[in-house]
Amino acid sequence: MADDRREMFRQLAVYSQAGMSFVFSILIGFGMGWALDNKVFDGKTAPYLTFIFLGLGIGAGFKGLWELTRKIKDG
Amino acid sequence: MEHPILFISLILQALGLPVPHTPVGATMLEKICEPYMTYTWMVMAFLIIVPRLTMGKLEMVPGSGQNFWEVMVGGLMDFCSENLGEKGAKMLFPMMATFFFYIIIANMIGLIPGFMSPTSSLNITLAMTIIVWVTHHVLGFRYHGLHYYKHFMGPNKWLAPFMFLLEVISNFARLISLSMRLFGNILAKEVLLGVLFMLAGAFFAPLPILCLGVLVSVIQAVVFVLLSLLYCAGAMEHAH
Repeated sequence: MADDRREMFRQLAVYSQAGMSFVFSILIGFGMGWALDNKVFDGKTAPYLTFIFLGLGIGAGFKGLWELTRKIKDG
Repeated sequence: MEHPILFISLILQALGLPVPHTPVGATMLEKICEPYMTYTWMVMAFLIIVPRLTMGKLEMVPGSGQNFWEVMVGGLMDFCSENLGEKGAKMLFPMMATFFFYIIIANMIGLIPGFMSPTSSLNITLAMTIIVWVTHHVLGFRYHGLHYYKHFMGPNKWLAPFMFLLEVISNFARLISLSMRLFGNILAKEVLLGVLFMLAGAFFAPLPILCLGVLVSVIQAVVFVLLSLLYCAGAMEHAH
């Protein structure tokens, strides 16, 4: 019983984090690109870096999900 | 929305100290008198005084007070060593146990009318998350030296620069999602309780939310500590 509950908490922690990390990865990617475009390069490179970093953010989000699936598969 | 009634703020105001009505005060004194600061100090005082009073002298055959703390601390120690192994658990146990007790008391205190949860302020949760985040990277460098960078490079040599950027982004996402989850859950509980008290407090409308609040408080404390442990364990193990 105690083991079951511990396992439940563990899974709750891991999976409740999965969705949020996905969203925040995308937001942070976008934010980094936007900051580079508008603050560092003063809009000279806009909007290309924003799009590149948005893509990286989406990639990071999916990478997190992918690693989670590997973790489930390996047990 | 009406301003909530907070006992400590009322007492401080009666003493003539400036309690800010905005989320962040302007002067140093106002910053110190913000509700989340004063209630943090209250939780700290609680955590120092109550174990002193209940535990008494340590005895071979524990009384009820000592028994309670032994169960709590022993359970936490098991919890840590399950995720980190014996040695790592001994090293990180003081920090994680402090986080656990602080968060659980801070969450629960908001259920009492007239008190607020310090964890419903992003300043507190972000501060705790930054501590965890820095600690797990420091641990990584301590265990692997400069080879820690391999954690960020992924399995493939050609994809390494690309993977490095992805890892940096997902590391920052950790920082934000860990703080935001605790903050969001507790703030939601506080606001919901406040609104229900205001609308139909006489008809016991907040009662179901109070029950849920107890559940959320415990779960969020456990989840925060567990995720910190998992991050630390991830930094300590070998790169794939």
